[in-house]
Amino acid sequence: MVSQDFRVTAVWALPFAAIALATTVFIADTITELEIACPVFYTAVVLIAARFCKKRGVVFVGLACITLTLLSDLLTIEVAPSQAGVINTCISLAAIAATTYLALKIEVEKEATYEARSQLAHVARVTTLGGMTANIAHEVNQPLTAVLINGNACLHWLDAEPPDLNEARKNITNIVRDTNRASQIVVQIRDLTKGQPPVSEWLRVNEIILATTVLIDREIRQNQISIQTQLSDNVPPINGDRVQLQQVLLNLLLNSIESLRSVAVGSRRLVIASAKSNSKSVLISVHDTGKGISSSDLDCLFDPFYTTKSDGMGIGLTISRSIVESHGGRIWATPNSPRGAVFQFTLPIDVRSDRSINKNGFRWENSSHKIGQDRAIADVHLNSQLNAP
Amino acid sequence: MKEEKPIVFVVDDDASVREALDSLIRSIKLNVLTFSTAEEFLHFKRPDAPGCLVLDVRLPGLNGLEFQHELAKSKIVLPIVFISAHGDILMSVRAIKAGAVDFLAKPFRHQDLVDAIHVGIDQDRVRRRTETILLEIKDRFALLTTRERQVMLEVIKGRLNKQIAAKFRISEFTVKVHRAHLMHKMKAKTLVDLVRMGDDLQAQGDVGVGHWHRAQPNSNFVRL
Repeated sequence: MVSQDFRVTAVWALPFAAIALATTVFIADTITELEIACPVFYTAVVLIAARFCKKRGVVFVGLACITLTLLSDLLTIEVAPSQAGVINTCISLAAIAATTYLALKIEVEKEATYEARSQLAHVARVTTLGGMTANIAHEVNQPLTAVLINGNACLHWLDAEPPDLNEARKNITNIVRDTNRASQIVVQIRDLTKGQPPVSEWLRVNEIILATTVLIDREIRQNQISIQTQLSDNVPPINGDRVQLQQVLLNLLLNSIESLRSVAVGSRRLVIASAKSNSKSVLISVHDTGKGISSSDLDCLFDPFYTTKSDGMGIGLTISRSIVESHGGRIWATPNSPRGAVFQFTLPIDVRSDRSINKNGFRWENSSHKIGQDRAIADVHLNSQLNAP
Repeated sequence: MKEEKPIVFVVDDDASVREALDSLIRSIKLNVLTFSTAEEFLHFKRPDAPGCLVLDVRLPGLNGLEFQHELAKSKIVLPIVFISAHGDILMSVRAIKAGAVDFLAKPFRHQDLVDAIHVGIDQDRVRRRTETILLEIKDRFALLTTRERQVMLEVIKGRLNKQIAAKFRISEFTVKVHRAHLMHKMKAKTLVDLVRMGDDLQAQGDVGVGHWHRAQPNSNFVRL
């Protein structure tokens, strides 16, 4: 967690650092002679700006640096300009321009990569949902059937002599309820398949969890899994993309369900929990009593194209990790005791972290995760819950 | 024959559908009982009344078709109307072959379901009536003495009193007495009645009248 806090703070401090550096260079450039090529250091300002600005911002900073160079030259011009001084200034200006250009190119590349990865995430999402089609169809069909039967029953009650209004009212109440249920599912699916670019908005973690469980309801019942949601009331809202976070949860839940299929019916337990892990982050965890993860798999679980399933692609967890990390959080897996696996991820509460979401995009490097203090707390907290009868 | 009011049993794991079916079936003036799992239904002590089972094919745990098989194994005879959200042809063929009344795909026309339920209940009524009659015949048959049973078997084969007397080495008069007794005990008004009862008993199989006669001529009559 320490490194993450540092990163968040650093992003926030970058504009100040840039301004401070620019001021320093400007003062140094103005008080020193023209021959001393102080303006070269403006390149550092441009590079810092590239860390926190978008394309336009970088161009603006580059232009500002050039203007400042020329301005300080004007201020120092009273001393007759030497040829070397003019050449040095020109070199400095060229360096600033070149740095700005390169920073822009990096920015464009980053955006393209980000775009590609968000499209990949979308494809993975649609693929996941594609695999669930039969269940989703069933999930929508069920309330529709109920609506149809209720409607007919209602007609019967109204046609009866004398009409039974109480029964008819009950039918209509149920119709309203079931229609809502069907449309809720449809809305969830539509959101997940929309393929819109990620947006950063205020989200309630518990709502996301509940909305996701709607989609797996059928799988849960079909596989006779006992599911428990342990949602803490004091989870503060976080900033992030709803669809992407739902994708992470859906992925973890489907993995758990698949793993639970291989154990006896009576001992299939799934716990989804949310909690405020410390003052800086929210912890979401999925605990199952499935077949678990072997220690050799544990290390490369999140690697691209690494899979333990016969029909798996090995991208689900990789994408999940990209999403969580792009939100400034961490994701990791541990064995559950006595059996099964625990997947947990954190999301930062900090308001300032929203700036880093889209900027950083997805990360694919295979970093080993340090186990933070929050994980220890969570393990203690949840193992007791899962082992409860 | 006075009967209990028919009961429709509904087994579906979806609460909304269950509730809706409950209301629909009550609206056509039938008793209804709903269950969320096959196990729950199996543990329920069914009242003695004609009935029909509305069963979702895809149930958690035991699925509908396995459940149908299970019911048949445990000799629970109840007409089944299958309802399914995504039944395929194979499934419906299997269900119908195993004796289901109908196989309806969700969402179905309610009239189809209502019709199927009525067909199911009628089937069950007929079955129960036949069963009751058969039970009565069995009860009456159980009252016969060994000799009377022997005589009855010969009578329904069309043997004359003379032939029967010769076979068992008794007097023709004694045969007549046995015959009168057994006709009375079986409540058969005519010979045709008696023959029909004998057919029913033999069709049931486990009575094994003919078999008994050949294999254990002197033992007391056995399982009913």
